[in-house]
Amino acid sequence: MAKRKVFQISDTLADGLEETLSSAKNYSGELRVDVIPLKKIETDPENPRDLALTIDDIYNKVAPSDPDYVRKLQEINSLESIANSIKDQGIINPIVVYKHGDKYRLVAGERRTLASILAGKMDIQAKILDSKPNELKISLLQWIENIERSDLSLYERLKNLEKIARAYALSKNIGVEQITITELSQLIGCVKSHALNYRAVLNADAQIKALIFANKIKNLEKAALLSGIQSTVAREHVISACLAGATLKKLKTMVEQSKSTPSLRLPRPSLKQGRQASSVNLGSTKNRDVAKIIIDSVLKNQALAHLRDQFQQVDWSDYKTVSETFNLLLRRLEELHV
Amino acid sequence: MARIIVNATHKGGEGKTTNSIMLAEYAALVRGLKTLIIDMDPQANLSGRYIKMEYDPAYKGGKIPALHPDYEPEIDEDWDGRSSIANIFYGEEVIPYPTSINNLELLPAHSIKLQDAEAVTKNEVVEKVHLQLKRFLELPDVQKNYEIIIIDTPPSKGPLTIAAIKAATHVVIPAQMEQFSIEGIFGMLQLWKQETYSRSKDNPITLVGILPNQVRDINLHKSFREDLSKRKEIAGYLMPHTIKKRAIYTEILVENANPKCIFELSKKDVARNEYERACDYIMERVLHHG
Repeated sequence: MAKRKVFQISDTLADGLEETLSSAKNYSGELRVDVIPLKKIETDPENPRDLALTIDDIYNKVAPSDPDYVRKLQEINSLESIANSIKDQGIINPIVVYKHGDKYRLVAGERRTLASILAGKMDIQAKILDSKPNELKISLLQWIENIERSDLSLYERLKNLEKIARAYALSKNIGVEQITITELSQLIGCVKSHALNYRAVLNADAQIKALIFANKIKNLEKAALLSGIQSTVAREHVISACLAGATLKKLKTMVEQSKSTPSLRLPRPSLKQGRQASSVNLGSTKNRDVAKIIIDSVLKNQALAHLRDQFQQVDWSDYKTVSETFNLLLRRLEELHV
Repeated sequence: MARIIVNATHKGGEGKTTNSIMLAEYAALVRGLKTLIIDMDPQANLSGRYIKMEYDPAYKGGKIPALHPDYEPEIDEDWDGRSSIANIFYGEEVIPYPTSINNLELLPAHSIKLQDAEAVTKNEVVEKVHLQLKRFLELPDVQKNYEIIIIDTPPSKGPLTIAAIKAATHVVIPAQMEQFSIEGIFGMLQLWKQETYSRSKDNPITLVGILPNQVRDINLHKSFREDLSKRKEIAGYLMPHTIKKRAIYTEILVENANPKCIFELSKKDVARNEYERACDYIMERVLHHG
């Protein structure tokens, strides 16, 4: 019997067909990528902007009478290098816009848009959304766009993150501080350890946020570490070290040490219930030298000379030891003055 | 909103024209839908089925539509009496021709005018050609007058085919189960994919599917069809119906054939049943699923 002929579509061709169909199915409507005229792009007046420079400024040149003249020229300068690479190679990632009348409004890619105009381009590649995305979606898109930028400051990331968190919390009807690490890591697409840091910074108090916004704290891990310190004193201490340029490792060590130090508590207003005070609070200090001075001075008293031996080998650099030493002195003095 | 079905594949001889004819006649005759059939192919074969095409005195081998039945030389001073779909590219009025089939009207081809439109290369002109058919079919008069619009395309990926794809709401790819044909499907899918990316959610272009055409009872055709249906992503787009290679499908295209239309054959006829099932599948998708 003659052998039956076998025919087969090549895998390459079948794979190609399959990939084409699945990508068209998955992205149609979601992801319209098209080339649109730059002239039709406008910024969204409802979105806060970082740049003073406007699209009009690039088309019509900045007038010297402009109150932001110097700042705008600086911004143009900073766009020159992107503009040059756009001249050579165009943009790599499309910008994101949504349709607004016969114009397109920017969601992400303001710098790329301005630089493309600067480069003398007429059109730009854009992902086109059908309508204005909600606050959460916009802030997430901006996050994704921005995260690829290496020069993005902690300040810019935090600002972006605050928008995401607010929008997300609103959509879930919860407070920003109730957002879990898992939720945050899924929202912005990062590992949990990273999300942990972001959440710490997100929930940091006004003082730390102010330092980040003033661009004085630039490192996420450091900022997260600082936000986690409970004791006010220790915190002041670590913050000033951080501002002085201490490394993350050094700061971590400081935080560890501070945990073993009795912290100064702010006097809490309380209702007096008529109970007589029965002890004297000798106070507390974060200056170990002061403790040493007090102890040394007391021991100089000839009447106490016999106690000096007990205070010989003290590690004056360790808060815990110093505290214990001071307590020991108090107990000995009490024994002498019953 | 009128549904606009384009039969497209850039390889020739796959059955685009025959399939356009069958779908249009099915829509008009069997479903009773107000139907317009548009011939975008400079070869003008489809036009010749419904109206008399004349050889173009200005262009050897080219064809132009016969005078329109409504043309009255005494009154229509600013009209030469002929109308074709090519007019849309030249800023001229378009007047559909009636056909012998109830509910079916035709916008015929005009060889040289279509070829000129197909041959444009200047960027800004190409863009205009691409969008012109869409603009025309979006006119309220067109939308109001037709429920189904069928477009037959030339065997190319040029401006006319792109114009048809841009105007379409649904795409049908007729293809033989053979090597070159399946390569042709791949090329057409790329074009379709590109177009889906530029559509918004409320204006999608739906791929109804690949219609295995001119299938013979040979090992090659069976194996290729099976291969395609084994792939999960492709299987969903492979129509569950096939059209066999039958003499009747070309016989009814002959002038003076009797009957002239496959849907006028006996209801028990195998060929009629086969094509009617395929058309029914396509029309159900077009009318009721996206």
